[in-house]
Amino acid sequence: MQQVANYMYYAGGGGLILIGLYMVMAKTNLVKIILGLSFLDTGTHVLLVAIGYVRGRTAPIFSEGMAETTPVVDPVPQAMVLTAIVIGVGVLGLALALAIQVYRHYGTLDVRNIRGLKW
Amino acid sequence: MVSPSLLVAIPLASAFAAPLVGLGSKKLAKCIPPLALAANLVIGLLLLPRVLEKAIVVSIGGFPPPFCINLMVGPLGLSLAILISLVGLLISIYATGYIKTEPTEKYHALFLLLATGALGIVLTGDIFNLFVFFEILCVASYGLTAYEKDRAGTEAAMKYLIQGTVGSTFILVAIGFLYGLFGTLNMADIATKVPSAEPLHLFLILAFFVVGFGVEAAIFPLNAWLPDAHSSAPSSVSAILSAIAIKTGVYAIARITYTLMNAQGFLIFISLIGIITLVVGEIAAYRQKDDIKRMLAYSSIGQIGLIVFAIGIGTSLGVFGALFQLVNHALAKCLLFLAAGYMIYRAGSKKLSDMQGLARRMPLTAVAFTVAAFSLVGLPPFAGFMSKLSIVSAALKTGRSAYVAFAAIALAATVVEGGYFFRVVQGLYFRGGSKGESVGPTKAKEAPAAALIPILVLAALVIAIGVYPQLVTNVLDHAAKELLDRGAYITNVLEAL
Repeated sequence: MQQVANYMYYAGGGGLILIGLYMVMAKTNLVKIILGLSFLDTGTHVLLVAIGYVRGRTAPIFSEGMAETTPVVDPVPQAMVLTAIVIGVGVLGLALALAIQVYRHYGTLDVRNIRGLKW
Repeated sequence: MVSPSLLVAIPLASAFAAPLVGLGSKKLAKCIPPLALAANLVIGLLLLPRVLEKAIVVSIGGFPPPFCINLMVGPLGLSLAILISLVGLLISIYATGYIKTEPTEKYHALFLLLATGALGIVLTGDIFNLFVFFEILCVASYGLTAYEKDRAGTEAAMKYLIQGTVGSTFILVAIGFLYGLFGTLNMADIATKVPSAEPLHLFLILAFFVVGFGVEAAIFPLNAWLPDAHSSAPSSVSAILSAIAIKTGVYAIARITYTLMNAQGFLIFISLIGIITLVVGEIAAYRQKDDIKRMLAYSSIGQIGLIVFAIGIGTSLGVFGALFQLVNHALAKCLLFLAAGYMIYRAGSKKLSDMQGLARRMPLTAVAFTVAAFSLVGLPPFAGFMSKLSIVSAALKTGRSAYVAFAAIALAATVVEGGYFFRVVQGLYFRGGSKGESVGPTKAKEAPAAALIPILVLAALVIAIGVYPQLVTNVLDHAAKELLDRGAYITNVLEAL
């Protein structure tokens, strides 16, 4: 049981990434593909946080009334995740905007019918 | 003494200044990208003599490495930064007249962001920082591909975005694993700790990195986005994507394999991937009998394959050849796309058949196009000859049968390359319009001065490097040594203060 608890977050992150990859590769609706990209992002973020997590420690934010020796988790992956979230939001916004443009040109979001160029 | 961090700061600041200035005066906003990149070029050239003696390390935030994010301005990073500034400057001059779709400030802002990303990638010494700059470059290029908002551009940008985002995820996961293993993100610090890790873990991380950066570098089989994106984007965008954006992926792969991982056993795989990419790209380019930009895009894939193959050779001559070919391809392909841009504009279509006999109406553009095409094929008086010669002789000097066989395949692919470039040049000069003015594109005339200047400067550079290779070989020699000597890289960064 301890083993499961240790690897739970890694498995969760990896699972989300796999779901995202499946959605990007197998789905035909453009919006579902973009949702898949969002899953990929989220999975990576969970994985990164899991790498920096240490069991039983608290968030690395020091405030008043908190002893300086309080054990905290590694803050670097969390900083990375914050950056990655911002990037992910930007990319998703652009992707949705492009999907709207694609819909205006083709009148459909089904990638099987969007074949102006050779796939 | 100017700080190398200006190389990244100037284009970043001007990217945001361009739309603001555009509120006041549209004409002034147009001048910002050329000015910013010209300043960058001057700074780069000023720093070059010092950097060739000793690499400059800039620590940001006042902490010593590895506790800060640092810029590592070595010969390799700086020579690529100068290349990016030069090509970017010429393309931005071209774009002042070529880009007409309003609002042009947005184009200029995205263009400068793309340059920022590329400059950051080649100069940074921190692996996560590299990822961030890489994303800046990617997002800017998705936006630029769809800039015209036409049918083909939007679809190409959508494909590019989906594949690029999946690639970025792979990079981020690899960085996460790297941090989990070593507890640091500083590239020099990771390089010192790599020998203590298990080879299997390192192999997995390296594979993730190669897949991730391979999407941007367009190595086979991750290159599906490139022909669409490069052929559907406006020509000035195709030029910067082909000349700069895909090269940064190659740089990242080379930096990670050599400096970060010291993966000598992996090099043969890299060469193999490169050769497959080369063959696929050249054959696909040969099959494009219709669309000139699609042909050039596939030719870019082939050339990237050649560069990746040369990086995998692993000797100093091989890496030197790879960098030399990288510079030559950046100049020549940029020139080809810029020339093709106005040829398409004047002929009124992308089709090669409509461009026959165009050389009579646009003699200067056609001559420049021919120079670049011959240089890419590797004909002697032009720059491409020297770099291909170094790559082939490096492959033969290794004495390993695999590399000798690869070199033979590369030479065979060059014949295919010659086939399609000569076909275009023949069409430009000797087909159509033989009965005088009545046949061929009648209204075509020479490109305007703002477009002709960058085209002719690039053609002059291609010939100058071909006749007098010492212009660049000295610097590239230092750059190749930097890539192979990881001990010096580590001491330079970690003992900077």
